Parts: sequence; C-alpha cells; structure tokens
Amino acid sequence: MLREVLRRPEAWIGGGLLLALILVAACASLLAPGDPLAIVGRPLIRPFVSAELPLGTDRLGRDLLAGLIHGARASVAVGLAAAGVAILLGMTVGSAAGFAGGRIDEAVMRVVEAFQIVPGFLLALAFVSALGPSLWTVVLAIALGAWTGPARLARSRVLSLREADFVAAARVMGMRSSEIALRLVMPLALPPVLAVSATIVAGAVLTEAALSFLGLGDPNAVTWGRMIAEGRNQLRSAAYLSMIPGAALALTVVAVYLLGEAVTEVLAKRRRA
Amino acid sequence: MSFLISRRSLIGVAAGLLASTALPRLALAAGGRLVVASDSEPRQLNPAIVASNGVFFVASKIVEPLAEASYEAGGLRPLLATSWEGSEDGLSVTFKLREGVLWHDGKPFTSADVAFSALEVWKPLQNIGRSLFANLEDVETPDDHTAVFRFSKPTPLQLIANALPVVSSVLPKHVYEGTEIAANPANAALIGTGPFRWGEHKPGEYYLLRRNPDYWAPEQPKIEELVYRVLPDRAAAANSLEAGEIQLAAFSAVPLADLERVSEVPGLQVVTKGYEALTYQLTVEINHRNAHLKNLKVRQAVAHAVDKAFVLDAIFLGYAAEATGPVPANDPTFYTPEVELYPYDVEKAKALLDEAGYPAGADGTRFKLRLLPAPYFNETRQFGDYLRQALAAVGIDAAIVANDSAGHQKAVYTDHEFDLAIAPTVFRADPAISTTNLVRSGIPAGTPFSNQGGYENPELDALIDEALITLDPAKRVDLYKRFQHLVTEDLPLINVADWSFTSVASDQLRGLANNPRWAVSNWADLELEA
Repeated sequence: MLREVLRRPEAWIGGGLLLALILVAACASLLAPGDPLAIVGRPLIRPFVSAELPLGTDRLGRDLLAGLIHGARASVAVGLAAAGVAILLGMTVGSAAGFAGGRIDEAVMRVVEAFQIVPGFLLALAFVSALGPSLWTVVLAIALGAWTGPARLARSRVLSLREADFVAAARVMGMRSSEIALRLVMPLALPPVLAVSATIVAGAVLTEAALSFLGLGDPNAVTWGRMIAEGRNQLRSAAYLSMIPGAALALTVVAVYLLGEAVTEVLAKRRRA
Repeated sequence: MSFLISRRSLIGVAAGLLASTALPRLALAAGGRLVVASDSEPRQLNPAIVASNGVFFVASKIVEPLAEASYEAGGLRPLLATSWEGSEDGLSVTFKLREGVLWHDGKPFTSADVAFSALEVWKPLQNIGRSLFANLEDVETPDDHTAVFRFSKPTPLQLIANALPVVSSVLPKHVYEGTEIAANPANAALIGTGPFRWGEHKPGEYYLLRRNPDYWAPEQPKIEELVYRVLPDRAAAANSLEAGEIQLAAFSAVPLADLERVSEVPGLQVVTKGYEALTYQLTVEINHRNAHLKNLKVRQAVAHAVDKAFVLDAIFLGYAAEATGPVPANDPTFYTPEVELYPYDVEKAKALLDEAGYPAGADGTRFKLRLLPAPYFNETRQFGDYLRQALAAVGIDAAIVANDSAGHQKAVYTDHEFDLAIAPTVFRADPAISTTNLVRSGIPAGTPFSNQGGYENPELDALIDEALITLDPAKRVDLYKRFQHLVTEDLPLINVADWSFTSVASDQLRGLANNPRWAVSNWADLELEA
C-alpha cells in the first residue's frame, strides 16, 4: 500500500514538504541556536537585505528566520500531538461504543453529539481561557474539538464488522471477545480513520495558529500564529512580518492535505477493486 | 426551486443586516454630524461612579464636572462652578455655582444636586472619590447656588482643585434620589447638563448624542450630532478615517506604526496635544514578597537592564518620553528631575546581581521570575516581550504569564500571583489622586492600580500622609518632590516611559486639543467645517 501511495505525485510533494518541515523542526536548535526571541539587531530590517539576518527582524529586532524555524517546531509538535490525542481518544471511545451497543452506545453517541454541536474552535478557546495557555492545554484543547470525527467513523466500522461472517465464525470457533476485537475488527476499522487523520492534523495546525494569533498560545514560545498577530499591527508598513509566517503556515497545511489526499485516493481505489 | 427561495431570503437577510449596521441617516442642520471612533463600550457609563477615561470619552459630553482642566494659568476653567475658595484651616471649600443651568429634562440645576452627588455618589461609590472624599463630612447649601464642602481633616485646596475635572461629575438629584444609584436606568441613558444629550446606544455599533439646544453657554455646542462608532479593531480606525467615514480617532486608536503614513493623507492631521493631564506611565510593578526582588540591589539591576531609549524608539516610535520617576516630566507643578537615575548599563546590572549574591549559573541564569504584562495596550504587551529579553541579557529568566484583562487584574491586584508586572499607570494632575496609591502600604487586596506588591516603607507612608493634610501649595509641592526622590531611591516600582496619546482628525475640525484633557472634555466648542 505504501508503494501505491508513493506512486502518486501529490504524495511526493506533500510528503517531501512535510519531511523537510519535520527535519527543520527537529534541528531547530542547530539551525538557529539560542533564544529565538532574543533581540539581535536593529528593529524592522527588511528581508533579503542583511546576510546575517536573511529574513530581517521584527518590531523589537528579533530574527524572523529563527522565529520561523522555532515556530515550525511548535506547529508540527502541537499539530501532531493534538491529532494523535484526538485519534486515540476517538478510536477508543468509538469502537468501545460500537462493541458495547445498546444503551451504552446510545449514551456515548449523545455525548459525541454534544461535542459536535459546539464549534471546535470555540471549545478550544473556552478550554484555554479557563486553564491558562501552555503547550499541553493547547494540545488538549484542540483534541477536544477533533476527537468526535474519528469516534463516529470507528463506531460505524465496528458496527458493520461486528455482524460480518468471519466474526461470527470466529465467535463460533470460541475466540474470546477481546481477541476478536483487537485482532479481527480493529485492524479493519483503522484505515478509514487514518485517512481522515490528515485533515485532523491540518486542522490542528491551523487551530494552534489561530489560538496563538488571539494571544492564547504559550507566551514564552515562538509560534507562527503569534508572529502573524504581532505583525498585523504593521500590516500596512511592514507586511512581510505577517506574510512570511503566513506563507509557512499555508504551505504546511497544503503539504498535509496533499499527503492525506494521496492516501484517501489509494484506499478508495482498493475498496473499488 | 428551494435554492432560488433561499437565495432570495438570503439577500433579504443581508440587506437587513446592512441596514442595521448603517447609522441612521437624517437630514442635518448646520454643524452636521461628527463621527468618532470608539474602541470600547464601558459596562458602566456613569462618570460620577466610574471616573475613568474610557467612560469620560463618551459621558463627559453629557454629564459635566464643576471645572475642566485648562492650559491657562491656574490650570482650571470653570464649568458648573464659577469659583471656589478654601478656608484657612483647610476644613471647608466654598463653591459658587453657575446660574441658569438646566438639566436635560428641563429641571433647574442647584446646589442640592452638588450636595447629593458629593455625599451619595462621589464619596461612597466613585473609584477615586472614595479615597479623595474620605474626610468629607457634609455639604451645606446656604442657597441654591452655593455649596460648602466640610471636611473632618484639613484638606488642601490644591488637591481638590486638581481633582475637580476627574471627580466632580454632577448628577441630577431628582432622578437619583431614593433609588439604588448604581442600578438607576439613567446610568445608561445619562441625564446631565452638558452640551450634548443622550440619544441612543446600539451595542457593538454606535453611541448617538444630540445637541442640547438649552446649553448654558451661548451658541454652543456647534455640532448637531455626535456619533461614536464602535471600532474595536485598530486597523479599522485608520481605514475608516482615510475613507472619510469617521472624522476623529482619539486615544491612539490609529496604531503608532500607521501614524507616519496617515499623516501624509490629505485632509487628515495627526495631533499629539490635548492629553497632557492624562499622561500614562509605563511602569514595572514589583512584588516585594519575592525574596530576590526584596533586595534593593536586584531592583536596581532590573532598572539598569532596561534600555529606555530603545523602548521609546522601538515600542513607542518616538511618541513618548523617558520617565525619571513617578511624576511625568510634562507635569507643570510637581515634577522634579532631581531624582536617582538608572542609565542603561548591562555590566553594572550584572555586577549588582553578583553583589546581591546571585552569581550566574552554568547556563548564565541567576534566578527565575514570573512577568505579567497588562493586556490593555499593545505597548504594555510589547514591553513585556522586551523586558523578558532585557532581563535574559543580565541573567534573569523571566517567564511571561499572559492573561485577559480580568485575569490579569485578579492575578496582580487580588491574588498577588506575580513577581514583575507591567502596568499603564495614570498620572492625574496631582500625585495624591492616583500615584501615591501605587506605593502606599496598607491598601486592601483587590484594589486595582494600587500597591499590591507588599511594599512597605514607613518613611514614604509618613510623607504621603503629611502631604495629604498640608495646606500650603508650595510646601505640598516640596513634599511631593521628596516623594519622587524617595521612590526612585528605593524603587518600589520602576517607571520606564511617560507616554501620551495621539489623535488623528479630519482637517474640517476646529477647536481640537485646546485643553490638557481634551479628549475627555465636553467638546462644546468643537466645530465641524463644511
């Protein structure tokens, strides 16, 4: 399946970009050593003017390139962690509801709906405002609005697989229910959930940026959303302050989507075959 | 089919929305309508209860004080009071009140209104009046146009006079008497004696004020309608000015970074005058409960670590001045430059921290602090980012804690959950009004913009108390000069910049910035040329 995915051009582009981004994030301290918030030069040096500060400086004289590199770390880490938490939570709750069925299923699904009717971003806003901004509250806040999708998907897959012939056969053969669930049903319920995970990651990266933009990110870390927010005041006189991190953000989201698109296409083809 | 219907109804809804956000279009007589940008909608609009600039910006046009600040000698222009005189023992002040003044509902304005406002509103309810009028015992009204304030302790006339523009908004007794004052409907639909009458308020959209045809000053006001358009987004104010949708944006509603560009737009002018009596100070509040900060050498090191010139340049873009102490340099009466100064000197700061017993660790860090920048202004937040870096340069690791306004006030002024905080403190023409509070000990927790850092200095407290009952103006001034020296010597807080506001206005406006509290004065003489 990996081979099939890799045959698609969008997977190459998306995957390549994402890999580069992850590398940059992982090596942030090597690429831009020191505190990315340190004041290193004159304020508002334009991009491509100074060799030492290739992307210029912001209003306080902080290196934009260092901010961009360290911001990648925050975006990638929060995006992946939030998506991971959301998928894990959603899978667990969804498949448990699917297996249990009956009243438990009903009750769990009402809870899922309760989460779904509140816009995810609003939920994240409320959560962070209540607990105070830090990296982990932001991750949890984003996951809180994103776990319902995987939960519903997992549940519907489990519901249909539960009644499949091979499951009935396994039951007749005397397999324990826990074994049926983990060895037979889960592996088959997983792929569609993974296919939506790209959307969840992209959404998480955007939500993180939006939270930082509104001043609800970790105030001691550089994030792209925060850079955009700080640049906004000088939008008319120094647009590059917002445009550079904005472009990085857009590129990341596009990369994640492209990769997700490739995976979804391959899965759809397989199902048809 | 359903698509067509839904599109048509959608258009209908959109049109309805447009109509509701558009301002009422009326045929206007000469003078016309002045549209002003407003960046907030205060929850409580009664200036006699909440004496703050956000409230005055709208309310001072409707409810007037006894006197207004002035550039003329003496610093005051009579409004509802025509003269005031203190007794020699400092125990009473006699106000002569203006005759022929009518409330907006047609009833005459008398000394009973002043007595009622002072005793029932300013003294018990008002944020500043509560301390300023703490010794006010009674207000006698020998006739309809005389009010005699009686104090239980000698009270300097200089202080009362300096405070008049801020604390003395007069409310109509006949509207408020016998009601719960804080919940009176007239707190929203204000009734006063001012040049403009209350029109309406559409939350999130605008305040509308209309000309008062019976205003006591002849041929004033000159403007028919005053509209405050709510524009919380700062970029929007500049754009609306350029588009000609608004004619005035006061209180730096146009971001400093845009001023240079806006000043070149034909038809617009940038005005920096008119805010002298409401100078803000960028202040670092210090929690003296912190063992490190209790040490004077550490506080001195923090003061030396701040490059004030850089702050003025990068954060205020030149629209501010270096602060030397707790009184801004533009105050004509009390300011003294003879104070302890702390020039920018990283090496000296490091040496002071070494001396204080905090050697740099392996990673260069000496100790950690929590830094809480007030979220009210861009400038306070940006200075927070700067201070974090400036402290890092001398080995102090300051972690920024970000809160919303309510959270910040609770953390700093109620829970004392801070080490350093950044506040925009306001100097209001006299140190006794809102400045000595910042360092006086014994102020109950929960009082915003007061000493909540646990600082105690008996010498300073004694000086503050003495100045409060010193009647001779020259002696008072001397005491406050000593006060400035003591504060800069012991650093209960660190004043970084004196910072004022700017207005951007249409060239059509006449009578701009003609007093030191202009943006919050009554605008009776403001004109809009066609």
